[in-house]
Amino acid sequence: NSPAPLPERAIYGFALFLGSWFGFILYLIWAYVPETWLFSLGLTYWPQKYWAVALPVYLLVAVGIGYILLFGINMMSTAPLNSTHTITDNYAKKQQHKKFQEEAIPALRDIPISEVNRMFFLPEK
Amino acid sequence: MAEERRFRSASGAPIALRRRQHSASCRELAVRGPRLQLRSLSAATSAVWLAAYGLFALSENSMVLSAAIFITLIGLIVYLHFVKIDQESLLVIGSLGIQVTSSYASGKESTTFIEMGQVKDVVINEAIHMQKVIYYLCILLQDPEDPQGVSEVVPLFQSSKPRLDCLIEVYKSCQEILEQRKTAPQSS
Repeated sequence: NSPAPLPERAIYGFALFLGSWFGFILYLIWAYVPETWLFSLGLTYWPQKYWAVALPVYLLVAVGIGYILLFGINMMSTAPLNSTHTITDNYAKKQQHKKFQEEAIPALRDIPISEVNRMFFLPEK
Repeated sequence: MAEERRFRSASGAPIALRRRQHSASCRELAVRGPRLQLRSLSAATSAVWLAAYGLFALSENSMVLSAAIFITLIGLIVYLHFVKIDQESLLVIGSLGIQVTSSYASGKESTTFIEMGQVKDVVINEAIHMQKVIYYLCILLQDPEDPQGVSEVVPLFQSSKPRLDCLIEVYKSCQEILEQRKTAPQSS
């Protein structure tokens, strides 16, 4: 799964390059070539030119709303101050306690908030 | 004995903490926020009345002015009775429980009592609140099934939001009383 260049990736890249240029030229033809010219060529069932302007505007407004929406979703999914999610979670509740060995670094674990508070705020005499 | 110390809230407003020791196992800690300032009240009233006068000048309808006066009066009464908390106090009685009282500016007091059997611990927790990380004191309630678990978190001093130095004082006072539970478990 490395991001190194491969022959298949080069082919995909070139195909995407050609496809995007084709799509862009097609969009320009749809937006700028007069309808009568398109009709004379036999292309009568293309969408209204209104959409050639409307779709980019819709896209940009959606991007702008997306910024605000993401901010709002973040605010809504923050745990409220009275929820237990600010203190613990499923992994911490189910953790197993490893035995304490002398002279060894203690195993990594989630320390309960009461213990943390005592260590920080009650001075050891 | 009572002592009062000045601190600051999380937003910078001056608050005062008053500690009273009623007996060896009973303590009362009260945090008082700033009173309603005359200048902010005048500013809000003037802003509403100027806006109403502007609307009246546009619409030539005199009901706008009466409505503005009405809204100002009702708004002030609602604010004083439901929103503006003057003092929040914590009464910790060693063997009995913890009582949390909020006194509103209109004189209303709202009280909650949590009995000691339900209280697991009183801790200072930090959490994200409105694009800030704040410290706040909270009571952890015991989970009846799981002795290590926490069933509920009750945040305290929500409207005055003291800073960490004030919270440490309150925390130390509460812990002195809560420690007596472990050393003297005579009642079942």
